Amino acid sequence: MQLQKPMDAAGVNGCPTCAFEILGDHFMEGEVLTCEGCSAELEVVGLKPLRLAEAPEVEEDWGE
Amino acid sequence: MKKIDLVYTRLRTEERMILEALRKRDCAVELHQDSDLVLSLDAERWPGGSVVLMRSMSLTRSRYLAAILEVKGARVVNSARAITTCGDKILTNLALAARGVPMPWSFAGFEEEACVAEIERRGYPVVTKPAVGSWGRMVARIDGRSAAEGLMQMRFETGSASEHVALVQQYIDKPGYDLRVYVMGRAVGGIRRRSEHWVTNTARGAVPEAYEVPASHAKLAERAAAAVGADIAAVDLLETRDGEVLVNEINHCVEFARSIEFTRVPLPELIADYAIGVLP
Repeated sequence: MQLQKPMDAAGVNGCPTCAFEILGDHFMEGEVLTCEGCSAELEVVGLKPLRLAEAPEVEEDWGE
Repeated sequence: MKKIDLVYTRLRTEERMILEALRKRDCAVELHQDSDLVLSLDAERWPGGSVVLMRSMSLTRSRYLAAILEVKGARVVNSARAITTCGDKILTNLALAARGVPMPWSFAGFEEEACVAEIERRGYPVVTKPAVGSWGRMVARIDGRSAAEGLMQMRFETGSASEHVALVQQYIDKPGYDLRVYVMGRAVGGIRRRSEHWVTNTARGAVPEAYEVPASHAKLAERAAAAVGADIAAVDLLETRDGEVLVNEINHCVEFARSIEFTRVPLPELIADYAIGVLP
């Protein structure tokens, strides 16, 4: 059995914060979107089914 | 068919616009999220294409990935050398110094009291910033000895040993804005970033404005980008109240989501054209 990465914080076909339904097959992994229900910044972390997680805080070495 | 590999951390507005611009040019794009890439450290050709557009937001990931992919035969835009140099402001200043590019004076130091003494010798105000950092984070102006002592103590008593280096730079009294010139082999446009605060990053609230880049600024930015070996760069210029223009920083992963509607510089299209242009 393959051990799965913990995904408790991810929502399937919906916002993990407010459960607002988000559907579609046009998303790409890594895409960032804003939830229309609660304005949370979400990141697409999986496709089929669509899994969304709260976008991570800015990492220290991120930038231009 | 033309093909570009695009490495990213997040598909932000910038990456989506570049992707669209590449596809409009009948260029196939293979997307690679940086967190998914696990690459062997050898010289075997990588299965991707010959040109990689590096859009990772992470300095750690982008410089290592660029270095690995170059050994594996890819032409990476920007190169590992450019990313490493631009990602470290001390190395950037050294590269500029080596080519005689005008910039504010700066020094690096490795011990608290020695740095405070050097600041005292040079006079206030000065600016200190992390050697590695972006978006104007932890950039501080030092107006007197107390602030110098406090900030140098923080620099050397917090963080890890690899962060225990102080970069201190001349404070430039700007006329309420700084300038950014985009370079892709040649200068292609620019923005003026206006702020009442002395920190003029758009990530920190500065307002972008259109700016017609004069030939002298274009030439200076092109020299700066060449000094760090960058194919694609955003060169930040500081204009003194006397009209002198100095290179402040060089950015290797150009962001434009906050500014493109004001500047009208078609950066996604220009980046796509540049990347396609380096295909063999």
